[in-house]
Amino acid sequence: MAAAVDILLVEDNANDAELTLRALKQRNLANQVFVCRDGAEALDFFFNGATPVPKVVLLDLKLPKVDGLEVLRRIKDDARTKSIPVVVLTSSREEPDIERAYTLGANSYIVKPVDFEAFARAVSDVGLYWLLLNHPPQ
Amino acid sequence: MSWSLERKLPLFVTILLVAVAITQLTIGYGEVRQASLALADKRLPLATKVLADLFQAGQGRVRITALAKDPAIAAFLRSGGSSGREAALVAMRRVTSDTATNAGLELRDFSGKLLLRTGRFSAADSVYVSPGTDSARYGPLMRRDTTLFIAIAAAVGGGEGKDAERGGGIVQQVARMNLSERTRTTLTGLAGGDVRLLLGNATGDPAPPATVLNSRTPVRYERGETMRASAAPVPGTPWMVVAELPSGVVSAPARAYLTGMAPLALLIVIVGAVIAWWGSRRMTSPLREITTAAEAIAAGNLERRVQVGRQDELGRLARSFNTMAAQVARSLQHSEAMLRGVTETAHDAIIAADTDGLIRFWNPGAERLFGYRTEEVLGKPLTMLMPERFQDAHRLGIRRYVETREARVVGRTVELAGRRKDGTEFPLELSLGAAPLEGGMSFTGVIRDITERKRTQEALQTSNAELEAFSYSVSHDLRAPLRAIHGFARILLEDHHAKLDPEAQRLLGVVDQNTRRMGQLIDDLLAFSRLGRKELAAGPVNMEELAHTVADEVRRTDVERKGSLAIQIDPLPPAHGDRALLGQVMSNLLQNAAKFTRDRAEARVEVGSQRDGGQTVYFVKDNGAGFDARYADKLFGVFQRLHSTEQFDGTGVGLAIVKRIVQRHGGRVWAEGKVDHGATFYFTLPTEEH
Repeated sequence: MAAAVDILLVEDNANDAELTLRALKQRNLANQVFVCRDGAEALDFFFNGATPVPKVVLLDLKLPKVDGLEVLRRIKDDARTKSIPVVVLTSSREEPDIERAYTLGANSYIVKPVDFEAFARAVSDVGLYWLLLNHPPQ
Repeated sequence: MSWSLERKLPLFVTILLVAVAITQLTIGYGEVRQASLALADKRLPLATKVLADLFQAGQGRVRITALAKDPAIAAFLRSGGSSGREAALVAMRRVTSDTATNAGLELRDFSGKLLLRTGRFSAADSVYVSPGTDSARYGPLMRRDTTLFIAIAAAVGGGEGKDAERGGGIVQQVARMNLSERTRTTLTGLAGGDVRLLLGNATGDPAPPATVLNSRTPVRYERGETMRASAAPVPGTPWMVVAELPSGVVSAPARAYLTGMAPLALLIVIVGAVIAWWGSRRMTSPLREITTAAEAIAAGNLERRVQVGRQDELGRLARSFNTMAAQVARSLQHSEAMLRGVTETAHDAIIAADTDGLIRFWNPGAERLFGYRTEEVLGKPLTMLMPERFQDAHRLGIRRYVETREARVVGRTVELAGRRKDGTEFPLELSLGAAPLEGGMSFTGVIRDITERKRTQEALQTSNAELEAFSYSVSHDLRAPLRAIHGFARILLEDHHAKLDPEAQRLLGVVDQNTRRMGQLIDDLLAFSRLGRKELAAGPVNMEELAHTVADEVRRTDVERKGSLAIQIDPLPPAHGDRALLGQVMSNLLQNAAKFTRDRAEARVEVGSQRDGGQTVYFVKDNGAGFDARYADKLFGVFQRLHSTEQFDGTGVGLAIVKRIVQRHGGRVWAEGKVDHGATFYFTLPTEEH
């Protein structure tokens, strides 16, 4: 776990995770991706042990054990982690979800397209933006 | 003080009669007085003229003229009284004895010196009359005690010329003025008994006022009493005749008229007043009776009627009054029966209360709902029907409304809780109205038990929540596997392209197409179900501007078109609704119109509106593929399509969304069309208000 992590992907659906990784890989962004399979793992990643700070978190909302919005709340509530950009990447386009995510401090809200090309484009754009274009505070 | 008609009428009539009587008497008195005055003024000159003529025609003048011609007298006078004295005396005595009225005879010379006299009349008393040369002349009247005398003188021989040389003198007789009984009677007959006739000297002895002597017309003067008089000279004498009539006598007929007529007038006035009083009583007593009856009816005795015993206007009034009273009673009974019918058959509770919050009306529905019988609640406070926590607000509300007319519940329908007689609480819906009643205010509430509705609502809310959870999982859980199918099929195609023969590649293409379509279907379905839950953010919406915005978007995304597309937007009235949702309606309809005109050489789309009664009908019309009118009702169903996906793509949700949005706005949507002749979609919206 000592290796540097660029992207933390929190995704319980193995297929979606694989598709996401593939999309990132095509842009050569998948080298330092860490995948958590549920909310609890994600919280462990941040709050149990000295883990390198990722450049961006791609967070699904519907997660086993701890809900994605709860994970978001914990990240944004903690002084240590609150400056980490969190991009919500979910299938839900329900208005209440979008509203709550932004209220809790999400930096983006992306609805996963069903269409694979569109999905791949969205994921790789997000990766490119946050890893290459965005300048986080040092 | 306001006088009753019964008093006013006789009083008025009496005053009128008195006025007429006074006027009549005054005018009559004046007329009569004027007439008697005119009569007197005619009689008086006549009397004086007759009298004057009478005195002129006296016999004394003839006699004295004859005596003057007597030779004995003439001889005596020519002698200057010196001779023939006896013969003259004889002649004189002859005359004296002839005449009963004779008072004396005198013979004088022309200088007036007395030469000889006979009779009782003393010379000292006599008046010397200077006669004319050839005619006798009367002297002034002389009064001795109560007797009036006159002197008549005639000349004997001439006073000049040859006669003067011969000498002569004057013979003068003094006669007592004496009126025979016959003369008096005649005079009285001529002048009238009430006329006083005066004879006197023109010089004024006895002296009547100078005015009468100089006036040709009768005059008025005071002589003891007020007199009306006329004067005339007696021709040939220095005398005046005056006829006078006391004013009292002149005005006697007028006074007699007054004394005769006044009691008659008084009698007429009294009789008139009595008749007026009687008539007025006769007229006002039925009016009083009708008034009393009207008051009785107003007080609630609707059976009260008036006795009709007359055929005149008052009888008609009484009959009309009775008819009206019957009509009022009938109407009241009718409306009461109607009210009873409505309130007794109403399923809802209908309760009325006054401004003190006391119950004044209670229908069977209220009995059923609250469990109280009518007599248990009438006059009791409304608060007994509500849980304690509402009572203060209720009292406050009534007071506020009565004082300020500020309505929070009045005129609305609200949901509250009620309390039954047995103490149980239940949800109710109250529609409250306020109406002015007898100077105060009556509150009427229609109350409905909504326990069942609440239960249904709760059930509906539960099922809505379930539906929401369902659509959430559809949104989330159905899309993930779909994405996987699509994604891995694509990966297969991309990464293993070389190993797949053309048929395998075509089949993967089919998988690809259908997963895309499935994704679209899910998205549309979610969009549709979201509509049911979204709150309307209603406000004024500029429909014309909205149509322009949407049309621009449609033009921009319009692809695969063979010909031209013209979108015409007419002036559109504003609407009241949710701008985003109405934008969706406009968008779906215009997208549809664009889609179904895609193969037209000259595609025309028109957005317009028309008035229909109180609402605005908007429409979107195209000249596209149209549809079979038989299936018009299917157009708006979810996933209903009238064309194959090969012909026109789409999931069949667009019009269902249009219908749902329009209906949520309280509007209506419908379509007209014909295959290959275009379609027109209509929808109504409430017009912009407030």
